[in-house]
Amino acid sequence: MTDTNVSARVVESVCPYCGVGCALSWVVDTGRNRIVEARGRDGAANAGRLCVKGRYGFDYTTHAHRLTRPLIRREDAYPKGALSWDDRGPRRPGGPVDPETVLPHFREATWEEALERVAGSLAGIRDRDGGDALAGFGSAKGSNEEAYLFQKLVRAGFGTNNVDHCTRLCHASSVAALLEGIGSGGVTNIVRDIARADVALITGCNPTENHPVAATFMKQAAAGGTELLVVNTRRPAIADHAAMYVEIRPGTDVAFYNAMMHVIIREGLVDEAFIAERTEGYEALRDNVAAYPPEAVAELCGVSAERITEAARLFGRARAAMLFWGMGISQHTHGTDNARCLIALAMITGNTGRAGTGLHPLRGQNNVQGASDAGLIPMMYPDYQKVADPEARARFEAFWGRPLSPSPGRTVTEITDGALEGAIRGMYILGENPFVSDPDVEKVRKALARLDFLVVQDIFLTETAEFADVILPGSAFAEKTGTFTNTDRRVQVGRQALQPPGEARQDWHIIRDIAERMGLPMDYPDVAAVFDEFAGCTNSYASLSHAVLGSRGRWYPCPDPEHSEGEPIVFQETFPRGRALLVPAQPSPPVEPTDPEYPLVLNTGRVLEHWHTGTMTRRSRALHAISPEGFVEMHPDDAAAYGIGDRDWAAVTSRRGTIRVRARVDDRVARGSVFIPMHFREACANVLTHPAVDPYGKIPAFKYCAVRVERVAVEASA
Amino acid sequence: MSDSVSVTIDGRSVTVPAGTSLWDAARELGIDIPVLCHSPRMRPVGVCRMCVVDTGARNLQAACVRPCEEGMEVRTDSDRVVRNRRMLLELLMADYPDPSAREASTGDDELLALARAYGVTSSRFEGSRTPEAPRRDASSPVIAVDHQACILCDRCIRGCNELQHNHVMTRSGKGATTRIAFDLDVPMGESTCVSCGECQAVCPTGALTNRALEGLHLVEEETP
Ligand code: SF4
Repeated sequence: MTDTNVSARVVESVCPYCGVGCALSWVVDTGRNRIVEARGRDGAANAGRLCVKGRYGFDYTTHAHRLTRPLIRREDAYPKGALSWDDRGPRRPGGPVDPETVLPHFREATWEEALERVAGSLAGIRDRDGGDALAGFGSAKGSNEEAYLFQKLVRAGFGTNNVDHCTRLCHASSVAALLEGIGSGGVTNIVRDIARADVALITGCNPTENHPVAATFMKQAAAGGTELLVVNTRRPAIADHAAMYVEIRPGTDVAFYNAMMHVIIREGLVDEAFIAERTEGYEALRDNVAAYPPEAVAELCGVSAERITEAARLFGRARAAMLFWGMGISQHTHGTDNARCLIALAMITGNTGRAGTGLHPLRGQNNVQGASDAGLIPMMYPDYQKVADPEARARFEAFWGRPLSPSPGRTVTEITDGALEGAIRGMYILGENPFVSDPDVEKVRKALARLDFLVVQDIFLTETAEFADVILPGSAFAEKTGTFTNTDRRVQVGRQALQPPGEARQDWHIIRDIAERMGLPMDYPDVAAVFDEFAGCTNSYASLSHAVLGSRGRWYPCPDPEHSEGEPIVFQETFPRGRALLVPAQPSPPVEPTDPEYPLVLNTGRVLEHWHTGTMTRRSRALHAISPEGFVEMHPDDAAAYGIGDRDWAAVTSRRGTIRVRARVDDRVARGSVFIPMHFREACANVLTHPAVDPYGKIPAFKYCAVRVERVAVEASA
Repeated sequence: MSDSVSVTIDGRSVTVPAGTSLWDAARELGIDIPVLCHSPRMRPVGVCRMCVVDTGARNLQAACVRPCEEGMEVRTDSDRVVRNRRMLLELLMADYPDPSAREASTGDDELLALARAYGVTSSRFEGSRTPEAPRRDASSPVIAVDHQACILCDRCIRGCNELQHNHVMTRSGKGATTRIAFDLDVPMGESTCVSCGECQAVCPTGALTNRALEGLHLVEEETP
């Protein structure tokens, strides 16, 4: 055996993937500028544990596809169109965008030329059509510092509030309901507090795959006596550890939770003192749920009245009950109503502000919480200060030294519509890939092609970058330092372990260079100073700094970071809005019910090994080896009815398009539903999804649209 | 019964909550008792017997599982204790593979480190060599399994079942043919393993190692 000696340095950082925010160390081969191993650290969220992505999924950083020089679209590559999009279907092995198909349409450029082109084009549109003709998509994968600078550039430099990010696609409806109900969008209790709960309701989420290390603490709690009440439409593995698993029909959450509350009220399982002291609107809620006895919704929900009653009693009798939810609650046209029900359920039973209670919408991306806190949302400045509030606007105008737009900006889906209509003419997209992640990608494709100018900053050529005029090579997570706020509100420092490849640059430097060329100075000595400016315009982060966060981080709020870890449980005495508002909700029909032509309900989601559009994980050797391709999961009875066998190729068609994908026959999905993961561009679930959005959170209904599935022979699928 | 107990370890006394193990009490004093099976992240099981100490009882006691008792006088490094540990190490080394995949890559094989510390360079015993075919399992894309290097310390099994709660790993067989196993003894890559890597991270030997490090030998730079 010929061993190669590797000089290794250990760097303390955090996992770049999910909202759990596991602390880890990277062992870095300094000579070859690559990470060779990840080791769990004793972080507040993970106690040394990692999942497959954190442990083995870091090697995308050094993949040969990395962008290393700025690229400008060639003159003969107009009009714009998708360049690699037809590489899909059964005859191609699949995988991420192949640069070979895209690079010939671009030429390499110097940073100087590329930045001039970007700033000149964006400023030109701003000066000609006004700031509202521009928009920016930031990313919940970026740091707090990047999110802060990006929204500052859009607001103060572009002159518009058209800035948003993928939280719109995840938890916008949960946040809308939480802001309305209690006045804060953060979680009230940290995940590990589940150890002190008698009962935990885990609904609309699949934590063993999507929040794997959080799931280990849920399973540990279950082993220690916490009873898990798992409610879902597709059986998640955590159900194996549950005291009770209830499978409801897709889209019937409001009816189900109204009926649970009906039983809780009827049987006197409410916390009267809590209702009297800490809530308002109880009478309206009570009158509303009076119309939902379990018998009345049993058929709609597909659950017997006895089971609904049993679930209500399990939850209602708990001394301390905690609620976890995910995209199965939020990604509906009635996502806000779903979350309102969960908030009301917690409030009428007095389940917040104590150990083992509380509301925990599980955050997906590693920095969804932080990006929202930093103001990467169209209606709020940092720390949820409303752009429509003249006082807040005056404060930020004085702080940033620029006049700011008084009107709330457009959301992700509204920006797409704006681009289609021609109202949005120029865009800056940093680290997002809406071409694969947004609903109805054919529409997104048309919208992106219509823009006068698009700059995409990323580490790989994404499907979105194919529509760019200029592509800027940014840095991967491990190549920069910044703070990230996990699902528990824990702010942790991710430290630079590697140098960016070639001429790629740190993302905050690129934002700064564009801003300065557009007349907005961003003069910071280092990234810690960016954090200080951001923290200074918030209450939540005001006491924190890179130095005080150290290697362990802190939960915010943290009034005394020298002596305290911060607050794992908030709102013990009062809510930010004073009393919690109980908001009655009525079930609404799906936007696209099934019919004989499209008889199945499509549900989309993720798998353990992959991350979103797969740009990172599909370029990780280990993750790709374990999970190389997409699938459509079907119940054995449905598969038999449509003549489809396990691993057969199938065509899945909705009113918006067709994809071809292998079938996986599994009774985890309910009869009448199919499930397709979102990560695989060659079997892109979002070709099929419906772009209808929730009226409050503006979140798309990724969890519900009507499709049909047919068997296809591979030869006939050209 | 009092809530705390006082013990004397290597001539120094310490007061700890009742129920504290001798191993944890020693740690309070800054005395590191060697272990293979135990880890502070896990429930102690007392299977490797490396942490034995002399409490004056007829048999040496495994410090990781033995609770402190009021007035106990403990020696962690008496001749008897050291002889015992040496014998154990010699037995464990009898059929230990050379090279160990862990020592070759990350250089932190805990068994080899203890053998060095106790001056065990060779073994008087003839080990039973596991035949090549069932010895290695390379079916997982991320973790290499070498049963020859397994000392049945149970760390991986506790890591899988009690830290990550995945319930994939177990022991199978009996006596000298006992092995760690996945599900109903299928190859790791065909089992319900979710590749969290906890077993590989907690394994003290070359039995479960990171395949990505094969052929690399890491030398950690001194941190300034
Ligand atoms: S649970 Fe999330 S944060 Fe932790 S290692 Fe896995 S992907 Fe990373």
